[in-house]
Amino acid sequence: VKIMACRYSRRQWFSKTASAVSGAWLSRVIPARAAAPAAPVAVARCRTYAPNELLPVMSKMFDQIGGLGRLVKGKTVAVKINLTGAPTYRVGYLPLEDTHYTHPQVIAAAAHLMGKAGARRIRLLESPWATADPVEEYILRANWEPRDMLGASPNVEFENTNFLGSGKKYSRLKVPYGGLMFPAFDLNHSYEDCDVFVSIAKMKEHATAGVTLSMKNCFGITPCTIYGTGAGVDEPSLLPKGGRGLIHSGFRGPSMSAPQELDPRSPREDTWRVPRTVVDLVAARPIHLAIVEGIKTMNGGEGPWIGEELTGVAPGIILAGTNPVNTDAVAMALMGFDPAAVRGTPPFEACDSTLQLAEQAGLGTRDLHQIEIAGTPVAEAKFDFAGIRRKRRASPPPPGKLVG
Amino acid sequence: LLEGTAIELVDPESAGASAAVVKGAWPGVRQSRGNDAAAGPTGAAWIDSNGWLARLTAVRRPGTAVWIDAPPEGPRVFPDSYLIAIADSAAFGARWILTLDDELAGRIAAREPGALATWNRIAAASRFFADHMGWTGWQPQALVGVVSDFAGANEFLSQELLNLLDRTGMHFRILLKDHLPASPFTGLRAVLYADQQPPSGALRRQILDYVNTGGMLIAAPKWGAGPGRTASQPGHPRFSEKLLGKGRIALCAVEPDDPYVLANDSVVLVSHRYDLVRCWNSGAFSSHYTMAPDRSKAVVHLVFYAGRGPDSASVRITGKWRAAAISTIGDPSPKPVRIETQRDAVEVYLPQVSQYVALQLEG
Repeated sequence: VKIMACRYSRRQWFSKTASAVSGAWLSRVIPARAAAPAAPVAVARCRTYAPNELLPVMSKMFDQIGGLGRLVKGKTVAVKINLTGAPTYRVGYLPLEDTHYTHPQVIAAAAHLMGKAGARRIRLLESPWATADPVEEYILRANWEPRDMLGASPNVEFENTNFLGSGKKYSRLKVPYGGLMFPAFDLNHSYEDCDVFVSIAKMKEHATAGVTLSMKNCFGITPCTIYGTGAGVDEPSLLPKGGRGLIHSGFRGPSMSAPQELDPRSPREDTWRVPRTVVDLVAARPIHLAIVEGIKTMNGGEGPWIGEELTGVAPGIILAGTNPVNTDAVAMALMGFDPAAVRGTPPFEACDSTLQLAEQAGLGTRDLHQIEIAGTPVAEAKFDFAGIRRKRRASPPPPGKLVG
Repeated sequence: LLEGTAIELVDPESAGASAAVVKGAWPGVRQSRGNDAAAGPTGAAWIDSNGWLARLTAVRRPGTAVWIDAPPEGPRVFPDSYLIAIADSAAFGARWILTLDDELAGRIAAREPGALATWNRIAAASRFFADHMGWTGWQPQALVGVVSDFAGANEFLSQELLNLLDRTGMHFRILLKDHLPASPFTGLRAVLYADQQPPSGALRRQILDYVNTGGMLIAAPKWGAGPGRTASQPGHPRFSEKLLGKGRIALCAVEPDDPYVLANDSVVLVSHRYDLVRCWNSGAFSSHYTMAPDRSKAVVHLVFYAGRGPDSASVRITGKWRAAAISTIGDPSPKPVRIETQRDAVEVYLPQVSQYVALQLEG
């Protein structure tokens, strides 16, 4: 009653109490929810990856959020793409770009439009699974043609950010509010040596974080030489090894040369740790442009290794915004989920909401009423991941199911 | 038990010069303590395989049958492990010396139905490869030629290089530096020379001729200084690169001592663009791509090392092929499979299969 008197809705009450239960770490989050900024998000239907359909759609979207020129003209643009998991792992026979990798045509279209808008340099970044090989070599193994992206505009290049790469030393990026998990991160130089940072994500559910959108995509900016299973103990290892189990489970800390976890007594559950780490990363390395593509994607999880029943789907949706929390909130609504959902409700049945934590950290609002949505209305573009999830979870997975 | 099978009972002492018996490793995903898969340098599962050893022995002892002596090891031996052991040798032209673990041998002797079923599968695998002995004469396809004497001071690096190139999926040709065949580098994208001694003058000239016509040499510093102009584009961080004629020379900046790094770097220098075989959803696997003498047909041997064969694996094979069929040990008669033509390759979609598939292609 007391809480209701404070004009909290039941949902907000749950949200607030869940945060409190989560521990004292949130007390470090200074801005209140009302302070979380809002910026327009453009939503579009796009049924195929054919450049003659995709390019005008993306061009219009960028115009609807204020134009690319003001963002990238004369600038070095770093673009984090999503190539999660090994390139040899598919959902059934489907190409990786149709299920869990950011589609190369979306990357190429974005690079092309940024080049047209005057970007001086466009750097495509990813920390591919367990390798220091050039990203070009990695994507060839996925059956992609690197030239499709390198040729999209002058001055496009790739860098593998899973290790030191072409930098002389790692860049230390601080979390402005002090951090929920980490006070700062040691990252590949590419995340500092840029004027504009773009996240191009695939619209997907996620086993640990509920959904993976423009913010969760940035989990992969951490180099596995420091934050990976085989990271060096004192100093970063030379080569990345394994995945980011170190952050997931907290079984050990990152290399001692890097900033350590704020509180080593914090929960060791990945469903607690990953959302907070993502928010810290997005605060340390702010996203200037968030693009979420769900033209073709998968449901059931973020990649073929997930034990749920996985299928390729074609929602035919793409969206973009200059605020990643706003963009991810709209993306969640397009997926049929409530962006205001908290732990215990879909898709965050077992995890904390990255959006909620980001909002509380003042990175952006997830309140759809405060976000101006341009282009196709959510109701017209919605693809019901939530409904499919309900049906899928209502029946047990087939016994002995093999994934891939 | 041997009646009607293709398994021969041979006294090793009497095999004489007609067979080369080599000590190999029990093939499969190496188990560490607690039955977890042991990891390689990148965290990927570590695979023990004898394919490279079978091929090296065949090159060193032409005309002899290669027998791999690799008895079962590890905390648990699964029935399917025997299929892997047989296929891992036979796919590369050798034969595995059938060695049963004590438990299975005892159960077979006691005529236990489960053990006899395993025995029958072993017999079927032996029969399968005996029926397809003709494939062993087909020409292995390769992108890289590894030139070495594979002995003495070079033994560890060069042999481990073959093993690890196999693991990266790179298809290689084994070239004994003092016994090179005619046109040793034809069709290769690169030649790898990592021996601790510089090559003879004749070999150096032969390799440089190959580079001049568009090939690539990857060499250890002992290769020495040579002709060519320094490449203007920054290349691989662990190599200095020179351009010579239509080709290039990539010289390791420091003496290579880690075969894993050298193997992986070589693959990157050559580029995955030219992969002869790519496989999805295969888990740990080896492939051996061989072509009939008239090049109208090919067979790609696929060995899957996991505890069970893959489901919904797809394979991309370089070349222009119009039809594909698969044979397995359980189903030896070729069955057509769905094929999709790409620009310079085909992609083949496999159904659920066991640990070995002979993918047969027709041009």
